[in-house]
Amino acid sequence: MSAITPESFSKRSFVYRQLSDAEFSEVAGAAQAADMKNGHSQALKAGILDLSVLPRTGFRGLNAASHLQAADLPVPAKPNQASVTDNGELVLRLSQKEFWVLGAVADLGAGVDAVNQRGLPEKDCYALYNQDSHAWLTLTGAHLPAIMAKVCGVDLRAEAFPVGSIAQTPAARINVVVVHHQINEIPCFSMLCDSAAAEYLWVSLLDAMAEFGGEVIGSNALS
Amino acid sequence: MKIMPCPLNGPRNISEFVHGGEVRDMPNPTTCSDKEWAEYVFYSDNQAGVVTEWWLHAASGYWFIAERHTVTDEIIRTYDPSEIFKARVEFSAESTAQEVSA
Repeated sequence: MSAITPESFSKRSFVYRQLSDAEFSEVAGAAQAADMKNGHSQALKAGILDLSVLPRTGFRGLNAASHLQAADLPVPAKPNQASVTDNGELVLRLSQKEFWVLGAVADLGAGVDAVNQRGLPEKDCYALYNQDSHAWLTLTGAHLPAIMAKVCGVDLRAEAFPVGSIAQTPAARINVVVVHHQINEIPCFSMLCDSAAAEYLWVSLLDAMAEFGGEVIGSNALS
Repeated sequence: MKIMPCPLNGPRNISEFVHGGEVRDMPNPTTCSDKEWAEYVFYSDNQAGVVTEWWLHAASGYWFIAERHTVTDEIIRTYDPSEIFKARVEFSAESTAQEVSA
């Protein structure tokens, strides 16, 4: 029995009802699934991880790129590319003037909190509140393109979709942002979807990954 | 499946896109007649031939412009709206108030 439960907090993940078997740890004033008792080998094979409570933020406008640079964040050169900071934050460029910053698992999102403490430029830079609008689900392991091919029409194989690529497309018939990245050298597809559809996408992805031995993992499995 | 070349996301299935109507010059709302404004808002030319249209890539919320032949349904070119719209269109509060009271 986990001492920390999602119900211990008023802020909860959008898929917390799907995580009843997890051991939780506190992340950013909410419970994040830390351990599912299947470990690192499951993450390397095929895992799905809920990172919805991890802090994230975004900025849009002509001055959004310079705002990120002032915060010492890397700015991807082109839209639909992602960069990783030394600390592990992901910086997504979703269009010429729109950026999202996703918190690092290692520091529980403290880096994003620091970015949010900075004042915005006087004009042409607007904050995007993607913490509550979007869920953050991460697929891990060796079969990512094959799993996604069952629910998504875009070619996500490594030749067409290398590390650092972003695809904004429907998957399982709902709109998602798919980011190809690595955490501790584990291949990851992070997916950001409408929070209202999070449970649906969670169940759909679990169904798609079943034939590859996919299971729910906790954040400890990444280290 | 028909493929639309999105300027932001590359070639994608046409089912990812939503048609947004013809690209037209907006008459000045403070000086034009009601008839001109109604024509701008409600009517379309529905021309046979090459038309310039708004399209939305729904998954990324990205609006762009496509030149399409309405007879052959061939997509000739797609591009970012910044090629045509160089500055933000502002509507002043004064002109809005005048329109309402008139």
